[in-house]
This record gives sequence, structure tokens and C-alpha cells, in this order.
Amino acid sequence: MSTEDQDKPLFSELPEWADVVPIPQYETDAPIAPILYSVEYKDATDYFRAIVKAGERSARVLQLTQELIRLNPAHYTAWQYRYETLLSLSSSLEAELKLTNSLTFKYLKTYQVWHHRRLLITHLRTPLPELPFLNRCLALDAKNYHTWSYRQWLLSHFIDDEDLWKGEIDFVENTIADDVRNNSAWHHRFFVVFGCGVREGEEDRARVIKRELIFTKQNISLAPNNPSAWNYLRGILDHNNLPYSLLTQFVKPYTVPLNPNAVDIVDLENPPPVKGAELPCVYAIEFLADINEKAGDKESLLKAVELWKSLANEHDTIRRKYWEHRVRDALQSPASA
Amino acid sequence: MTTEHRPHHRHTKPTAADGYPTATSLIQQETENILLEHGLSNGEPTLQKNEHLRFLARNMLQGFPAQYSSQDASQPWLLFWTLQAFSVLQVGLDPGNRQRAVNKILAWQHPKGGFCGGPGQSPHLLPTYAAVCALAIVGKPGPGGGWDEIDRAKLYDFFMSLKQPDGSFRVAEHMEVDVRGIYCLLVTATLLDIVTPELVKGTATFLASCQTYEGGFSSASHPFYSIETDRVLRVPRPNLGEAHGGYTFCALASWVLLQNYLNLDFSSISGPGDQPESQWDTELTRDKPEIDVKKLTRWLVDMQGSEIELGGFKGRTNKLVDGCYSWWCGGAFVLLEALGVGGLQNLTARDVEVDDIYSQAAKGGKGPAGEQTEEHEGWDDIDESLFNRKALQEYILLAGQHPAGGLRDKPPKAADSYHTLYCLSGLSAAQHHLYPSHPRKAQTLSIWKDDDSSSNALRKAIFCDMISWVEEEGTARIIGPATTNRLNATHPLTNLTISHTEGIMKHFYGQEVPPRPIPKPTGTKKVAKS
Ligand SMILES: [Zn+2]
Repeated sequence: MSTEDQDKPLFSELPEWADVVPIPQYETDAPIAPILYSVEYKDATDYFRAIVKAGERSARVLQLTQELIRLNPAHYTAWQYRYETLLSLSSSLEAELKLTNSLTFKYLKTYQVWHHRRLLITHLRTPLPELPFLNRCLALDAKNYHTWSYRQWLLSHFIDDEDLWKGEIDFVENTIADDVRNNSAWHHRFFVVFGCGVREGEEDRARVIKRELIFTKQNISLAPNNPSAWNYLRGILDHNNLPYSLLTQFVKPYTVPLNPNAVDIVDLENPPPVKGAELPCVYAIEFLADINEKAGDKESLLKAVELWKSLANEHDTIRRKYWEHRVRDALQSPASA
Repeated sequence: MTTEHRPHHRHTKPTAADGYPTATSLIQQETENILLEHGLSNGEPTLQKNEHLRFLARNMLQGFPAQYSSQDASQPWLLFWTLQAFSVLQVGLDPGNRQRAVNKILAWQHPKGGFCGGPGQSPHLLPTYAAVCALAIVGKPGPGGGWDEIDRAKLYDFFMSLKQPDGSFRVAEHMEVDVRGIYCLLVTATLLDIVTPELVKGTATFLASCQTYEGGFSSASHPFYSIETDRVLRVPRPNLGEAHGGYTFCALASWVLLQNYLNLDFSSISGPGDQPESQWDTELTRDKPEIDVKKLTRWLVDMQGSEIELGGFKGRTNKLVDGCYSWWCGGAFVLLEALGVGGLQNLTARDVEVDDIYSQAAKGGKGPAGEQTEEHEGWDDIDESLFNRKALQEYILLAGQHPAGGLRDKPPKAADSYHTLYCLSGLSAAQHHLYPSHPRKAQTLSIWKDDDSSSNALRKAIFCDMISWVEEEGTARIIGPATTNRLNATHPLTNLTISHTEGIMKHFYGQEVPPRPIPKPTGTKKVAKS
């Protein structure tokens, strides 16, 4: 609730609203489970119900809905009615976008404020200034679901806008550098690289896949116990139908305790774990087990079972039931016969 | 000697930050410190039932404090969360308050169909689910009972008015598309017997397109249209948002609810090719849609926090545990079983083999053979769930309860109605293991009264599947004092109790359901062992 305008008059006190008869919410005096509204909120909603009932579309409706949205940004009917009123009055959508900017910053976690934005940009077709705006939102909340899905909608809706798209890989690279564990950023990378089809300059898929693998492996070497990076690694391989065994050599050092005597070597293909790494890493053991399960021979299967058992009993005990399920599942497959 | 519950012997290994702190690892560490304190509390973890009942009764009878004005457009939710929390706590309402609730719910029905967030608001899929489920709890047939006042014909038209060319639905006119709305629509349509092929054609294909590379589901996907045919293209179909617990529950439950339609629509007798083309035919809907269940399972189990997080669930990779995901993620596992992952059928006759092959591996000198911890025996011999039911109960009981009543995301947050219900439903899902029983389904099929409508086969299949869920006797597992902590089981697809689900469905389908055996009191035993 707003506290900033204590002295603001109620709609019932304003002469320009004197012609409207406010409609209370319930006819009964004491409904069950009521919300104990403030006077301002009750006042605004009583007038809003009256306006909706009359079907009025006017400038004062914009005033009323703006006030109501300020009091309760999740009031979807107020947004919906406001949108229809804007269109029917041919109001300036540029001005509306400006107003929405400040509301967006304030109510980052509200569905409606983001959807309203989407409706406006669909009409205005001005996607480019959205990017710096979204970056400011992400600076406030780097994992905000609405902000990220809005960004992905924007890029999808304006898929052919090269200016909109050209900086996106660099942007996502920086976001992951800010926090390598930001899963929203990793998901966005997948969206940009694999989710939206092949863009100009990215036609050489072998090169793109190699680039993505190297990027991910480097980030794993920096902080191995990061499920976001391992999931992305799996995502690259699954999406492109590549076998996990391509990465056997890379994964192995992460499945055993850290070797304190390891010498620093620069190997782009197989970057080793950093000094502070806490190993063995659960995700690496899981990955190696998957490689062994896929290999198809009995010896590899036994190796996979052994790895799963080590997860179940030692390294990832909370998920013991799941790892035992993996063992059972693998033993049902034809390879185990 | 070991005991089943000994908090001070908890594994307390912090999540590895690899000497490389970032914003995510810092807040994770902070949270783990807080949770660890709560995990160290002594004594049996006990559900503060009376405090929670007082919290719910206060909201219901005195009203919600002014800060709940932010949920003024979710009034049906406030009522549903409260009523259903009472139901899970095995408490029913007196007839007077039931009638007051029915009257209030009916004031939310829109003249054009569907239910609104409050009187005079617009109809919306989410409050429609909440209102119909609330009516399942407090309503009854007959004048003023609430059930027969639902205008199902207009509701159906409202649903159809929201349908999009890619098989998805807007949540309200002009509003967003997402899988929450689809779940709410499908549960409502299933309870009220208004599912038709026309309503759900293409919807499963849309749901499948929301699965992300991680395995969980996103809020929605973005459709691209072919210039020549104006139909939705198979690729690209990018996800809008990352894999998320809430959306994953909604997508998975919707997927399960659509199985009967898919099986009939794509059966050899009447394939989609035999049907007249409709606007929801896409390049994609000519093939039966598929989801990657293995990947989904992996993602779901990965959402459970480790011992130091007290086994609570998180909603996204590298985010914090939160009590409401006890239901959205914890409640999703039995739905996987409905799709054939894990569960009883999977287990039988396999245990021997596992031990055999493992002892072979162990003989080779590898593997921590001697470390099989004894403390899990007695619990596990009958627990075939894929997640850690015991740990999830501990999270809810130790961290999820607010001392002043009501449940919450995590300490030190305040309690609210939403978290109160979804913590309790999650606790219930961890206590009770339900599964779709073939014998019960067969029994229900055998007493179904056929009619000659073209929708008879689909309606029959949907009804019998919903009724088939049972709890295997003796498989309830209750942490803490069983008589106090025991909750009602909820239906995995509706999150209503089994009897409320069956009651309203019997009425709208005009069918009977087979009687249920009265559960033996010995079916739940306190798990404590020395
Ligand atoms: Zn929550």
C-alpha cells in the first residue's frame, strides 16, 4: 500500500466524480474471509466497479486505473480495462510506456506490469530501447523470471531485428561473468544460441558447438560445483545429438579428489579444476556414470553402478533413492542382460 | 546404535563454493546458516496444528489484514488456500460458514462465464480453478448449494474464447499465456465434465514445447508461424523463461490430465488424420507430442536441497529452498509414477539384482560397500519414492512453521495463506504415497453407465483415471508424533482431498465410484527406531 500521498483526496470527495454512484463489493454485510481494506483502497475499487459496470471509456478512467494500479499492481482487471480504454481513446502509447517504466521498477515481481509492457511494445514496435531498460531491471534483480521471459519474448517477437540481436551473446557472456551461478543467464544463453533457430554468422554449427563447449568447460573449471553449467553442457550435447563420451577426458579429473601436485597447464579442450575446487564433484560423477551407462558393455555398466552407489551412499546422500533408481533402471536395459 | 531422528548428527556439509564466491553462493551460504540453526533444534519435529488452525480461523472469521489488499484480485485463492488447509488438517467447516463461503464464491461468477478475482472483476482462469475447487470443498448439489449454480455452458465458451492457435490459452482476455492457466483450466474442466477434443486439441503439443534443456518446464513457449500455411512451426519454439517448479507442476499435471485425450486421439482407430482439420492443427499436432520424462525426473530430484538445507525443495537451479515447492516439486513425483517412472511396479523383483550386481562390483575392491548406513533400514524397505520423503518433512516441520501459526517460505519470513497451504500439501505428499491403482480403475470402469454421446469414451476414461488414485495400505510415513502430525492425503492432480475430488466428480458425471476400504489405523506408524 502506498503511504506517500496521505493527503490525497478520495474519489468520493472529488467533484468531477460526483456523478458516479460507487458500487460496494459485497451485498452482504459480513462476508466470510474478508480483506480488511484501507479507506483509500475501498474508495478506489468502489468507483472502479461503477465505471466498469457503466462501460465508461474516458480520461478520468485512466486516472482512476492509474491510482488503483498504484494501490494494487496485481489488479489485472484494472490493467485490462486501462488497456482497452487507451486503445478506444487513441491515447499516446509512448506516454503510457513512460509511465509503465516507473511502475515496472517498482513492481518487478508483478505479472501484469510486464504483460502491459508487452502489449504496448507490440503496438509501438520499438524494441531497441527495451534492452537498456531491461538491463537496469536486471541490475535490481538478476534472476527475475518476468524480466528474463520478457526479454526472451522481445527477442522472439522481433526475431529479424539484427540491431536488437547483435549484442545479445556479449550481454549474456557478461551476465554469466558477473555470477557464474546465475541459471537465468545460462538459460538465456541456450535461448540465444540454440532456441531461436540459426542466425546469420552462426551457420557453421560445428564451430558454434565447439565455442559453446569450450565456454562451458572453462566455466566449470572455475567453479566445478555449479549445476547451471553442467546442465548447459548436457543441453548442448542433447540438443545436437552428441554423445556424452566426447567429454570423458574433460570430466574425469572432476570425479576424484583434487590433485594438490597438479601443474598448471593451459588446455583449452580440457581445462583442469582450479586450486580451490571442492572435489569430487557430484555432477561430474553423474556425468561419468551416464557415459558408462551409454557405453553398452557389462563392464562399463558395472562402473556406472559403482559411481551411482558412491553418490547414493557418500557424495549425494539426500538423493539416495534416485541413484538407486538409476541403478535399477540401467539393469533393466538390454545391455545388462 | 542409531536413531531415526537425531538432528545433531545431521550432515552439515555446506554447498561447495569452490573458493569462488558469487552473489548466488553468498546468499546460499547465508540461508544455510539460518537453516542449520533451525535443524539443530532438539526434540521430535512436531506440527503445531493448533497454532495453524488458529491462523486459518483468524483469517477466515476476522478477516485478512490490510496488506492482503495486494491479493484483492485473488480472493478465490485466499479462500481456497484457507479452506483446503483446513481440509488437509482434517478439519471441516460448520454448515453456517459453509453456506457463507458458497454465497461468497457465487458472487465471483461472471455473467459471461468463468470466475473473477473478486466481484465486478473480469473472469480469469486462475480464480476459476480456485473458486471451483473451493466449491468442491464447501458446496453441494441443489438450490443454493453452489454446484448447480455453476454455468458450465458459459464457462466452456469462456475457455474457448481464450484459446490460441498454438493450443495454449490466455489466462484472461488480452492477458498472458502460461502453463498455470492451462493447469487451472484442465482441472476445472475435468472436475465439471466439460472436456472435449475441441477444447484440448493442440494443448499437449504446446505443453511439450515448454520443456527446457534442463528437463523442467518454463512458463510458456513462443510460436512462429509459417508464411505459407499460417500454422505454428515445429521449430523454432523457444521457451520463455527457465525451468521452474511451479510451471513444471502445472505442465506435468496438465500432461497427465491430457493422456486419455492423447491416447484416444492418436489411437489407430481414429487418428488425427481422420478428423476434419481445425485451426489447432499445426505441423506439430499431426504427431503425438512427447516429453522427456527421464530428464524431467533428473531435474525434479535435483531441486531437493541437501541435508544442510534440511531437504526442502527449490524452484529453479541455483536458487534457494522455499516451502511452497514442497508441493510444486514434492507433489510432482507421484505424477511421474503415473507416467511409469519409479513407483511400486518398477521396484518388485529388482532388488535382488541390484544387490547381486553391486556385490560383484564390491568384490572387485571398489565401492564403499561397508558404508550402507543402517539408520535408513525399516523406512526404505517399503519406501519406493524417488525423492527424500523424510527430509522434506523435516524441512517443513523445522523451518516451514512460523512459531505464531501459519507456514512460510523459510525463516525468518512471515507466514502467509499461500505458503500455509502448499507447505501442508507438500507435507501431506511426503507422508502419503498415492498411485493410480489398476484394480480400482477396472472397478470404476465396470460400473460406468454408458450413454450414446460421442464423448462417452473420453469422459469415461477421464473419470475412471481420476478415481483410480489410492494410497497403498501401510505406506504412510510420518515423521514426528504420528497422531499429531498426520495430515489428509490430497489428490495428486487437483490438490483437493480424495473425497472432495470424488464428490464433485460423481455429481457432474452422474456416475458412481467404488467404495474405498477404511484405512487401518496401523497403516501409519511413527518412524522411530533404536
Ligand atoms: Zn514460495
